[in-house]
Formats: sequence, C-alpha cells, structure tokens
Amino acid sequence: MAQTPAVLHFSGHHYLRHRLVLSILSGKPVRIDKIRSDDQNPGLRDYEVSLLRLLERVTNGTVIEISVTGTAILLKPGIIAGGSVTHECPLSRSVGYFLEPVIMLAPFAKKPLSLTLKGITTDEHDLSVDIIRTVTLPHLQLFGVSDGLELRIKKRGSAPLGGGEVQFLCPIVKQVKTLDFVDPGRIKRIRGISSPGYALSLLAESTTGAMHSAEAISKPGVPPEEIALLAARSLLAEIRRGGAVDRHHQSLVLLMMVLGSEDVGRCRLGEPTARTIQFLRDMKQAFGTAFKIAPADPSDPESTDLIFSCYGVGYINANRTLS
Amino acid sequence: MDSQTHKAHRPAQSGAKAEKKKESKAKGKEKQHGFNEKAFAPKSGRRADRQGRRTAERDQTRLHVPLVDRTPDDQPPPVIVAIVGPPGVGKTTLMKSLIRRYTKQTLNHIQGPVTVVSGKKKRITFIECNNDLNSMIDIGKIADLVLLMIDGSYGFEMETFEFLNILQSHGFPKVIGVLTHLDLIKKAATLKATKKALKKRFWTEIYQGAKLFYLSGVLNGRYPDTEILNLSRFISVMKFRPLVFRNSHPYMLADRFEDLTPREQVRQSKGKCDRTVTVYGYLRGTNYRLGMRVHVPGVGDLDVNSVQILGDPCPLPDAQSEKRRKLSEKKKLLIHAPMSDVGGVMYDKDAVYINVPGNFTKGGMENPGEGEKMVLDLQDVNSTLEDQVAKSQIRLFGSSSQPLSVEAGPSTLPSDQSEDDEDGSSEDEDEDEEDEENLSGNEDALGSDNEAMSDEDFGEDDEADVDNHGRSAPRTVRRSIHGLPSQDRKRGDVEYADSDSDLGGEDDDDPGPSRRFVHFGDDKVVDIPSDDDVDEDSSENENVPQWKANLSEKAQAAFQDTARSRKRRDWVKLIYNSSAAPEEILGKGQTEEDPSQGPSMDDDDFFTIASKAPANVEETLDQTKEPVNPDDLKEWEDEEVLDSIRNLFITGSSSQAAEGVDENGEPYEDMEGEAGSQAGSDASEGEGEDVADGKRSLNKDAAALAAKKAELKRKFDEQYDEPDAAKADFYTEAKEAIARQQQLNRAEFENVDPEARALIEGYRPGTYVRMELVNVPAEMVENFDPSFPIVVGGLLPAEERFGYVQVRIKRHRWFAKTLKTNDPLIFSLGWRRFQTVPIYSLDDHSIRMRMLKYTPEHMHCYATFYGPAALPNTGFCAFNALGRDTPGFRVSATGVVLDIDRSTRIVKKLKLTGVPFKIFKNTAFIKDMFTSALEVAKFEGANIRTVSGIRGQIKKALPKPDGAFRAAFEDKILMSDIVFLRAWYAIQPRKFYNPVTSLLLSDKEKWQGMRLTGQVRREEGLKTPTNINSIYKPIERPARRFNPLKVPKKLQAALPYASKPKIMKPQHRATYMQKRAVVLEPEEKKALALLQQVRALRKDQVARRREKQEERKAAHRKKVEKEEVKKNEKEKEKRKEYMRLAGMKSKREAEAAEGGRGSKRRKT
Repeated sequence: MAQTPAVLHFSGHHYLRHRLVLSILSGKPVRIDKIRSDDQNPGLRDYEVSLLRLLERVTNGTVIEISVTGTAILLKPGIIAGGSVTHECPLSRSVGYFLEPVIMLAPFAKKPLSLTLKGITTDEHDLSVDIIRTVTLPHLQLFGVSDGLELRIKKRGSAPLGGGEVQFLCPIVKQVKTLDFVDPGRIKRIRGISSPGYALSLLAESTTGAMHSAEAISKPGVPPEEIALLAARSLLAEIRRGGAVDRHHQSLVLLMMVLGSEDVGRCRLGEPTARTIQFLRDMKQAFGTAFKIAPADPSDPESTDLIFSCYGVGYINANRTLS
Repeated sequence: MDSQTHKAHRPAQSGAKAEKKKESKAKGKEKQHGFNEKAFAPKSGRRADRQGRRTAERDQTRLHVPLVDRTPDDQPPPVIVAIVGPPGVGKTTLMKSLIRRYTKQTLNHIQGPVTVVSGKKKRITFIECNNDLNSMIDIGKIADLVLLMIDGSYGFEMETFEFLNILQSHGFPKVIGVLTHLDLIKKAATLKATKKALKKRFWTEIYQGAKLFYLSGVLNGRYPDTEILNLSRFISVMKFRPLVFRNSHPYMLADRFEDLTPREQVRQSKGKCDRTVTVYGYLRGTNYRLGMRVHVPGVGDLDVNSVQILGDPCPLPDAQSEKRRKLSEKKKLLIHAPMSDVGGVMYDKDAVYINVPGNFTKGGMENPGEGEKMVLDLQDVNSTLEDQVAKSQIRLFGSSSQPLSVEAGPSTLPSDQSEDDEDGSSEDEDEDEEDEENLSGNEDALGSDNEAMSDEDFGEDDEADVDNHGRSAPRTVRRSIHGLPSQDRKRGDVEYADSDSDLGGEDDDDPGPSRRFVHFGDDKVVDIPSDDDVDEDSSENENVPQWKANLSEKAQAAFQDTARSRKRRDWVKLIYNSSAAPEEILGKGQTEEDPSQGPSMDDDDFFTIASKAPANVEETLDQTKEPVNPDDLKEWEDEEVLDSIRNLFITGSSSQAAEGVDENGEPYEDMEGEAGSQAGSDASEGEGEDVADGKRSLNKDAAALAAKKAELKRKFDEQYDEPDAAKADFYTEAKEAIARQQQLNRAEFENVDPEARALIEGYRPGTYVRMELVNVPAEMVENFDPSFPIVVGGLLPAEERFGYVQVRIKRHRWFAKTLKTNDPLIFSLGWRRFQTVPIYSLDDHSIRMRMLKYTPEHMHCYATFYGPAALPNTGFCAFNALGRDTPGFRVSATGVVLDIDRSTRIVKKLKLTGVPFKIFKNTAFIKDMFTSALEVAKFEGANIRTVSGIRGQIKKALPKPDGAFRAAFEDKILMSDIVFLRAWYAIQPRKFYNPVTSLLLSDKEKWQGMRLTGQVRREEGLKTPTNINSIYKPIERPARRFNPLKVPKKLQAALPYASKPKIMKPQHRATYMQKRAVVLEPEEKKALALLQQVRALRKDQVARRREKQEERKAAHRKKVEKEEVKKNEKEKEKRKEYMRLAGMKSKREAEAAEGGRGSKRRKT
C-alpha cells in the first residue's frame, strides 16, 4: 500500500532549478514537460542535464526519467545525502548556476556537504563565486546555518575554457531558525572584490546587517574605470530598490522562511523579481504555504518595500542521522 | 428545658497577668506574621552549605528544556481525558459520573468522545478506551490525560502494563491512577496493605509520587459524588507539558463521522465503491495546512478534499456572558457527544435519530434537548421557502439603508437567513451544520444582538463603512449595480489593503489601458498614468536628442510614479490568485510585445492566444542575475538622483528618513506602521494630496517621537521592575524568546480574515472543523463502530515517503521470546501501525553493520525495515501479535528511530572455502572455491587464510579446473589444509509493508497480519518439506593412513649417522631364549601350588561375602518399598483434602460474585 504522493506538474524550461529544489525538499515527485518543445533545438541543454546529474549525486535514491526527446523529465526525489562530491560543470554555465540550488538543499542533507565544482567561476548570467561567498552565505547564516559554512575559491576560471575550482562546505542543521528581519537599517559600509580580468563585485552592508550587492563583469577592451562605474551605479540602483535582503537572494530567504519552525517569520523585501513571484507560486504548490505581503510602511507613498510574512511549515531535517 | 447560661469568663484587665498577656500578644503578633526565619535557619556553616547545595540541585531538577506550546491560549482545544482499564473495572461508570459532575446529565449509552465545558477557559473531551490493543495504541497517542483504572480487589493486569509501555514509547501523557472495587476488600488491614502495595507498584511504573485515586463503592450506578468532585478538581488543575510528537503534527479525534457518498453510487457498486466521508472534531497539535495528507490509524493514508471551519458545538463561555468568576450553571449543561444519545439526538453512521418523550407538546417543556429543539423548530415553520426568500432583505453592508431586492432564483440564500447570518461567515455549509448554526444562533438570541457578532464582523463593517464614504465620488457611478454583490464577495476573499486609496487601485475592472482614477479624498480625482504610459513616455524621451536635459527629474518622477502605482498593488492577489506571468505582473516585457495591452490581473480576462515563439530568437536563460542596461544607470550621473538616496546611508541626513528608520536606527515599523496607516487614511480622507502630504509628515514626526518615547519607557520599566533582568540565564532567555515569538505569531495575522488566514497559516488548533476524506475504503463505513476511536493524524512531507528506516530497538524484558531477523513484526510508529520485516544488526567496530540472527539479550541493537519514514527520534513500540488470545506480554520491543535512508549497509558474513591441489613453496593452487575464472577475477587480491592461520592472497585464475586459482601464502601450507575467504555479503530488508487495517474489519480485534511459515503450516496441518541434502547422516571418518617414511638410499648414505634411519633386517633365527626349555625345581613347584590354593580360598570367601550382602540389600529394598507406598497414600489423602477445600472456596467466590458485582467480569 505504498502510495506515491501527489506529483508536482510544471511546464517549460524556465525556473527548472528551483522547481527541482522544491521537489527534493518537499519529497514530492515533479514532472516538467514542454521543455523547449517548440525550439529548433528541443529538449534539455547540456548544463541542465549536468545539473540533474549533480542532484542525483548529492541525493540518494533519486530517480530521474528523461523522455526520449528530452522535452520532459520526471524526478522522484530521494533523500539528500551530502558527503563529498566532485562535479565537472559544463562550460556553457558558470558554477554559480549549480551552486545556487545546492545551497538551498545542503543544510538539510544527511552528512555535511563538501562539493567541489570545476568550471567557470564568473560570468554574466549567474551569481559569481565572489557574490556567493560574500552575500549568499551570509544570507544563509541568518537562518542559523553558520558553523563550517564556507566557499573556498581555489582557482578562478572564465569562459571559454573554464578551469576554475571552488569547494563548497556546508554543515547540516536540524531546523532553520525563524527570520524576523524588518529593519533594513542604513548602509554603513561598502566593500568589494575586484579580480583583474574577471569582475568587480560590490557589497553594501547596513547597520542591521542587510546586504545589497552588484557586480560588473570585465569585458575585453573595456577600461576598468567603466567597469567600476557600472558596478557602483548598479549597486546604487540596488540600494534604492530597498528591502533588507539582496534582490538576487529573495528566493533563498523566502524558501528558508517557509522551511522554518511553525512560527511567523517576517522579512522586508524590495519589489519581488519575476523569479521570486514564480518561486512563491511554486512554493505554494509544493508546501501549501502562502505569504502575507503587505507594504512595509503604508504611510509612505514612495516606498516600494514590502513585508513578507509567513507561517513556517516546521520543516525538520528528516535525513539527519541520530546516534 | 431552658438552657442554663454560665457566667462568662472575664479576663483580667489589669495586674501582672494582664500585663504579661499584653506583652506577649504584642510580641507574638509581630512574630506570627510572615515567615519565621529562625525556624529553618541552619545551625552550622556546613549544614548551611549542604542546604544551599540541595536547594540549588532541586532548582535545577525543576528546569526542563523550554518547549514551545503550539496550543493557542485564547481558544484551546478540549483536553482529551482517556479512561483506560481492563474490562469490568468501572470505566463506563466513571465516565458517567464525571459527565454528570460537569453537565448534570446522565448519559445512558455513551459511545465515542464526549466533550464538556469544565471551566471558563477549559473544556474536556472524555473518551473511553476499550480493551483492544489497537484502540489502546491510538488512544495513547492522543490522550492528554489518562485515567488509568485498576481493580483494587484484583491488582494490576497485563493490559495495564502493556498500555503503560505504549504510552512510554509515544511520549508520556499525564496519568492518574484510579483504584476501584475497593469495597470488595472487607478487612481494613488488608485494604490498607493492598493500597500500599498497589501504590508502590504504580509509583515504580510512573514516577515516585504519581497520583493514585481511590474510589470506593458504586452508589446509584455512579461513584460517590465527593470522590468524583475531588477527581475533577485534580483534572482541572492538571498542567500539560507539550509532547514533542504532538507539537509537530496536527491531529484530530473525530467525534462525528458521516458518509457523503452518493447513495446511487453505493447502490450501483453494491456498497463496494470507495467512499467520501466527513469527520468532525477539534483540531489539535499544530496548524493543519491545506494539502496535507492524513493518516487514520486502522484505515490508511487518506487525502483530504476540503476542510471547513464550523461553529464550535461546545463553545467556551465568552467574556461578555461570563463576567463572573465561576462557570454559570447554564453553561454547565453544554455537552457535545454526537455518537452518544445526548440530548435525544443520536448520530448513526447514515442517519440522525431524535428521541422524544412519550407525549410531546409544544411549550410544555422546560429544558428541551438538542433533538427536541430540532423537532420544535421544524414545527415553527409557517411559510414556504420561496416566500421567505421573497421576503428576505439582504443588505450589502451593515450600514446600508437600502436592502437589495432579490428575485427568487437558484442563487438566493436559504430561507431562515437572519440578520446575524447575513454577514456571518457561514455560506456554504451543508444542512447539518446549518442546523447546528441555527441552534447556537437561537441560544445566542437570548442575549443581545451585539453579542452574536464576532470581531470579524466588526472588522468587515468598518471596512464597509470606509468604502461607503469613498463611494460618494464619481467612481460609484461608473460601476454597474449588477456587478456589486459578486464583486464585493470576491473582494472579501483576499484583501490586505489598509486604506481605501489602496482599494481604489485594483478594483478597477475596466481594461482601459490609458488612465486610472484613484481617490485620495472625497472630491478630488487624481489622474495617474499607468505603467504603460510611463514606458511610453520614457521611450519617447529616448528619441529626443538631448535626453540628458531633464533626465534626472524624469527618472525621479518615473521611479516614484511606478513606485506609487506599484505600491497600490495587492501582491497577494497578483501572485496567488492570478495566472499572469511574473513578468507581466512586474509590468515588464509588454513594451516589446503589445503596448496597448495592460497587465491582466484577473483570471477571467486572461485569455491570450499562445503565440508560437520564433525559433531563431535568443532564448531567455534561467539566470539569477538580470542583464544590466547601462543606459538605465545613466541617471546616476545626476547629483540630485544621488542625493535622493542619501538618506539610505548612515552618512546621510536623517531628516528625510523615509524608510522607517529613526535616528538611532531603531526599528519601529510595527508601531509606526499601524499609526501611520491610521494617520494616512485619515489624511487621505480629509484633504487633498498636498495638504495630506504635510499632515502626513507631521504625523510621521509625531509618531516617530511617540515610538521613541515608548521605547525609552519600555526600557526604563524593564530596568526598574527587574533590575537583574539584564543578566538573565540561558533558561530565562530561551523562554523569553519563545514568548516573544508567540506574541509575534498572534499579532501578525490578527486582522486577516479567516479564509485568507487559513491560506497562510493553515487551520489552527482549537477550531472545530469538518474534514472531507476521499477514497476511503467502503469497509470503514460498513463496519463503523463508535466505540473504536477514529484518530486523524496529519502527516509531515517526510512521513509520506517510504524508505529504509533504521531504529534502535530493544526486546522488552517481559516478552517471552527472542526476536528473529526476517520475522514479521508489527510496529506502532508515528501515527501508523504496520507490519513489516526487520533485519537486526549491530555495529561491528564502526566498520560495518553486521546482521544479527536474533536480538541480543538485555541490549539494544539496530533494526532496519522498509516502511514509511518517521522523523529521527520518534519512539515506537512493536508487537508480534495484537490479538487478545496472545498469551503473556504483548509488547515485544521498544525503541527509537535513528535514520531514514534509501539504501542500507547491513552485511552478513560469507565464508568461501577451497582446498589446495598443488603446493609449491609459498604458492599453492586452490580449487573448489569458485566456479569460474570470472569469479576469481572479481576476488583477485582478496585475503585468504588457512584453518591453521597461514594468511595468503588470491593471485590469478588458473586455466585448467574451472574456478581454480593461484594463491600466495606467508608459509607453506599443507595439502590437508582448508583455505577460506571471509567476505561480507550485503543484504536488504524485504520491501514488505502491511498497515494494520483494524478499523476496516467487522470484528476489529481479529486483524490478521502475515504469519510465519511455521505458523501457517501448523494451522494448515502441513508437513515441513524436507530437503534431501539437509538430512543428517552419520558422519564417516575413515582412519587416516600415513605412508611409511622412505629415505632414498643415496640420501641415507650422505646422512650423518645420528640422522640415518636405523633400519635393521628382521630376525630370521630363533633367539637365545627361544631355543631353551624352562623346567621347575621341586621347591618351586610346591610354592607355586601353595600360592594357587591360597588364591582359590580367597576367591571363595569373597563370593560368599557378596552373596550375603546381596541378601541384606534385598531385605532393605523391600522395607523401603513398603515405606514408599505408605507415604504415597498419605500424600494422596492430603491432595484430596486440599482440592476439596479449594473447590468449596471457588464455589463460594462464584456465588459471591454473582450476588455482588454482576457477572460482567466473569463473562470476559
């Protein structure tokens, strides 16, 4: 009488990563079809297949079925195993593409994860390893995932040849903490990392620990001053967008809020991005949790900030071993 | 006779005595008051030290890990009090007595849970547990308090201990022992001794000092009122510590059960189709979320189709009606027991029976029961439904003066919709609930009208008022009257807007792309360009050559405009209730697609033809970073734009702190938010925008100041009231953090309407709900028996999945047999009861998990089985059989879940043996270990060993005999050696999972799981098939023959003499002695003859002596035999006498039992 839980059903190749993550976390199988079915080159791309491989190795008992044409996949999630994993990333995407979903999963693994990724470390599509190290990981620390959380950048590599190597170490937790982060504070310092030939990433930190980041990728023939100007201005734009959480990390923060204990978590965000909106919808499908979204200060007509509050599902890391 | 008055005593007013008394009185008074410090003061320093340490230790033992209690304080679910005990012990009597104590009603036939109001803030659900082990397990998982009944005249019974063990493994609820039948013990001394003995045993089982109640005899079918009163007092002061499992799972004890399947469907399938049933009950534990699957123990995992909040059938008295300290007498009558015959209403599985007294006249009844009221209400109807619909007046808002006129049609409201019901929450409940609703409505009608209104109603009214004020503007005209009702209903669904300007924004239904009208006041209409306009504007601007001219202003304005227009959006609705693509919601991407089409926000008008994407277009990647447009960033060249965000920095001025941060960077969103919204809406109502702006900023300043003051005051109060609060220890801090979080939990969704609230946080514990379960096996309905509890337990996402569960297990020391690997075992784990096949194992030096054939004695071991996952640290207990006919203790093992996984790593030892067939120096050829070269290849490099302990390694396969190989050893081995290879073979537990579906059976105690092979053979009378190879044969061991050692001649010659084998030729001739004959001398002959004679004499003597001894022995044997016979006879007589006495005693007892307590006990 082993019934299978309800299957999540999605269409299209968009938002593949977070859908897979939600499926693995919620334990519900996911079927994604119409993956570029109208495209000249239909089906999964090499980096998507590589991502599926990576997820299969990070988990135990995951069954992935890909249709013959590659336009539909069915993923029956196993448990998140963690441990030591090495993965060669294809050169079509940077390691950030692969790290982002893994970061969402790793705190709930059976064993602490030590993931070595090889490939491109910085490109214009995905979060660079610098941003992940300086912004993503502190965002994870808000939820009590801190001891032993580390991203080691061993080698840098850029397109077209790659050759970079990073190691991601993540501890496991029993349950993530509930977030109550409604005060964005005021920017107290701005720091940055510039790695010649790769990129300039800037990070603004507020008095309450709110972070905003921006990055500009160096391109051949463009003087460094212009790159710097671009980065600085994008950072200003980010700061103006408001919120207590970096815009690229809205989904991460919202996911962790949903997975928190059965208490009300609150967070102040700027206007949600398109990814965030879709993520909220998918999250409702996977966990049945909706957010209450209210303007942060209704009296101020100029503020676009919103308070996202939700009631955590009380997600407990069931994969953890007790001994 | 007159009572004689004595002369009263007159105390002395003066003199020494008076003085003394006065003095002592004055002194004594001082001393009497308060704590006498000297009385407990330690006499010596050492004693003081010891006392201090003891107090500190005692304080520490009092501390527990702070746990969050998920039960809401305002409307907690009723406490479940389970009455458990062996049959005939007086459970039903106790339940009746307790119910009578709380409700002044005597129930004749109690079935299922009974809920009563026990105090101003407390309700109790009583449930009686029958003697079935399955029921005991289920009850043990949900009971908050167990009244464990023990027959004092008999003592503890096996069920009691079994139940206690079940409780222990599923989190121990509170237990009160109740001793009954104490009146059967006549002698006072025996009674005292029995009480003491039972108490001692009870205390060792639970904890030292556990409460044990004594109930004496039965009076009028109930226990004595005073004793019950005392018991009820103990129940009411009971405090409940949250149990971990229940604090992480929602659950419900169903107190009502209905089958909703269409009758026709049932008829067509001859009652075999899957049913849709509803169960009713109070939610407990944590919040129940939509989409959560549930497990009904005894039935299986079920899907919940819908959940509806119903009116509380047994409501707590609210503050208005209960101003007094005690519960009023009227409220004491409240009782909710749908499965019993309370109030003349009996809910059967598919019908409702109403019992009425013989004569039934209207008005003649003082206190009609629920069912009688129903019948009376039916009589009250004096107009048809249609008439009432025609007459009914529906007002949209509480303050509307003009009611809506409704043409009678299918969509009209039910007939007896009163004013209360109109704005009430019940809209789509089925008949039963409506009836209940009406009944409660009638009750409420006794009070004032206002009382019936809940807080939500007030809230809605307020909103409606606000709306009404807003509607005097032109906008009201623009809307058609037909659209009103439905529109309004929709809006009631999800709305978080705080001011009516917010409401104005998105209620606009017309798809016009150009302009929106927004009200900020009564008469001023502000024209705000929509997003598209902004985009158009900006695109126009880009065409202008000197676009830099007023770029900053434009950018600023555009940003603020979009900000303003976006702020007015209802994000919840946009995200969750519309199917628009995320990009459309954000208002991007339309410029390139179709600028004339605005963002479609409603489901209704979002029908677009799926356009075929051109194949050659660069696809949008799944990327986190968004492409940056350098032109958009050009605005930052302007100083003014830079200045506009200066306040976001710590270096900027704080005067334009618009982002809700005050000077100190202190958060004050909460207070400011509320005050601000109030102020904001006031302002927008009163004046025009510019005036409002000024006022708003003023308000803001005032609010900021007030907030700051409040914060300072709070800090001062904190420090003043508790000077040492700052250095609170970990425990207090943790408790405070929990309290703070709970405060936030309460506050956050307080003003959200129930539907939206359920969407966000699920259904809270304490609400009375109706759950619709689908695809329920028909047998559950067919064989429904209210005396078996129906528990609906929510499943966490992890618990729906199956996998290998590793547990730490220990055989129960009272269980008679050991447990064997691969024997089925019934687990009670989480909500579930299931049979599965475990494999026992032990950790072998942390290298491997080694299989065990049997569980070890007095030791924990691991067990791994396939089944539904449970969170680590969940306790369980296991049984071999659940039936009542099982002799002995039924709990066979207990333990805790350690790990869940999709694979196992249990191994068992496998020894492969082989024999050498050729031996070189350190090399040998081994055969008979493998059958093919391929197998050998697999094991190349494996370590092997001989019996004598010579170690070696497998080298390579040999071509000749199949499976032979070359091996190297550390020394030369013998041909007689056996070579073996020790390997580990991984085994997987069988994927067998069999839920205990006891509730589906007609005889619920007769559940039969998978049996052991031996059991099946025994029951079927089959012989065990014998394998010819397994038959034991006599072992034949041929004697080993060793060949003589032959040393070659050549070698012999070369050997030194000492090493040379000394081989001599056999003797051919007779030896010296052989050649000679021996002749005796005459003296020698004589001596020899004499010796012979002496020997003969001695022989004869011994023979005679032995004969005599034998004779003596025979005589003795005879004597002993005689005595034995005599003894036996005596023994027989004795036994006869004893049996005679015992028979008389039992006869007497049986007679006494029949006369005294009825025959219930003996029957079972």
